[in-house]
Amino acid sequence: MRVAFSKYFMVMRMTWIQALEYKANTIVGIFAVISGVLIEYILWDRIYETRGVEIINGFSLNQLIVYIFFGIMVGQLKSSWVTSFEMIECIRSGGLNKYLIRPVSFFSYHFSLFIGYNSLFYFSYFAMIILFQLIFPGWAFQTPIQAVAFIIFLSMAVYLSYSIYFLMICCAFWFGEVRTLILAFNLSNRIFTGSIIPLEFFQESILNIIFLTPLPYLVNIPVNIALGNISSLEWPQLFINGLIWVVVMTFLGQILYKIGIRKYEGFGG
Amino acid sequence: MRVLVVRHISLWWSFFTNTLTRDMEFKANFIGSLIVDAVYYGAHYFFFNIIFSYVDTLGIFTSADVRIFLVITFIADTVYMMFFSGNLFNLNKLIVSGDLDFALIKPVNGQFIVSFRYVKSYAIVSLTILGLLLSSLISQNPHDISILNLILFFFSFILGQTIWYSLDFMIGCLTFWFKNFTVGGWLGHELFKFAERPDSIYTGILRKSLFSILPMALISSVPARLLIYGPGWNFLYWQIFVSVIFLLLTRIVWKAGIKKYESASS
Repeated sequence: MRVAFSKYFMVMRMTWIQALEYKANTIVGIFAVISGVLIEYILWDRIYETRGVEIINGFSLNQLIVYIFFGIMVGQLKSSWVTSFEMIECIRSGGLNKYLIRPVSFFSYHFSLFIGYNSLFYFSYFAMIILFQLIFPGWAFQTPIQAVAFIIFLSMAVYLSYSIYFLMICCAFWFGEVRTLILAFNLSNRIFTGSIIPLEFFQESILNIIFLTPLPYLVNIPVNIALGNISSLEWPQLFINGLIWVVVMTFLGQILYKIGIRKYEGFGG
Repeated sequence: MRVLVVRHISLWWSFFTNTLTRDMEFKANFIGSLIVDAVYYGAHYFFFNIIFSYVDTLGIFTSADVRIFLVITFIADTVYMMFFSGNLFNLNKLIVSGDLDFALIKPVNGQFIVSFRYVKSYAIVSLTILGLLLSSLISQNPHDISILNLILFFFSFILGQTIWYSLDFMIGCLTFWFKNFTVGGWLGHELFKFAERPDSIYTGILRKSLFSILPMALISSVPARLLIYGPGWNFLYWQIFVSVIFLLLTRIVWKAGIKKYESASS
């Protein structure tokens, strides 16, 4: 267990060092958050002004913008399309062979790469959150325990998101080209996980369907915990539900991988 | 001049037939790309449906107008994907790996070949569907949309595409200076998000910027305005001016970049 951990930690560390070479990623990442918040602020400011109301669906304009600020960041941190594309290419081109003959897990190795690639974003977004707390105290993390819960739910969201991506990646054993599946998931994700608009703004019927899926655990729930919109009494139940999704997705991914590997022929596709 | 234009058009036609043949060999890709487009359109449409469940207008744009605006944005995105994205997205790779050499040694303008070599043919299907959808929305719109509006719209739309191409091309050319600018495509995508909202929501300095230094409002908002509300000459003249300036800037940036280019592994 310890050996396995140190092995994958080394992979993560190496990718992290590699990621440090591409500082432009961080700059564009921060620009993406700021411009995204700016666009949504302008849009919603106009809506609140036109309607002449201060609260929509339990959100004041300020609360909504803080939600979007956190939503975009969490959405970015859990997005792993670069790693997913590499994994699909491995399956298509026969690159998976090297994982089969070495004592490394395809799933865990790429999970370490994914965390390593995103490491710069973790630091820069963490700095942005600290800055936000200093400038707007009390708008988020009203109690320190919220910060702890946010980190736990964020970690769960990152892992759950990766597990969902892994399920789609495994489809490459049968269909070869599944990058479009990843792209379609990414595009729809921004809206249906509550990254640029809280799920509370959706119609009841759509919301009921979304809450039958793991999607709320990816962005909506971690962000609402950070902002204090979910009572601490509900956290244990949400955590257990999220954990069930984590187990289900990991299990499904492993089964699909094991079936898929039997189909795998080990040459370029 | 005429010969040069005809030559480039015939060259582009050869690129198109070549990529069409290639795309047809990978039918799953072809269908998959259509699905991605459908998801992109659906997600945006859903988002604005939520917005319009709270308000009736966004500035002068009513719900019906925003639907037209959205379809124009989708068409703009699809046309851009078809002609440019497959080329400009690879510009970084061409420069870093030195494969740009192969484009430069060909007896044709280097900027032309790196900008137009690949055509995403699946976009024709999306364009046909979006074209029909736009026609239907135009016929249902309460404004009187005349032939003149349509002509001005087409002209303005092409200018919008020119501006977007120029901006994205210049972002891609930054690789000449930054050595490896892999996030160029992402940056372009983030900038395009400003074009995905009607210009009527922007005010103050941001609005001025989106009509000048970062002219994202000229990509789909201005064509939508000309189509729905008729001739807005000031908008059109300004769009012509900005697109000419930006196109000239691409030439300057490209030539300066080529001077910096050191071939393989530069």
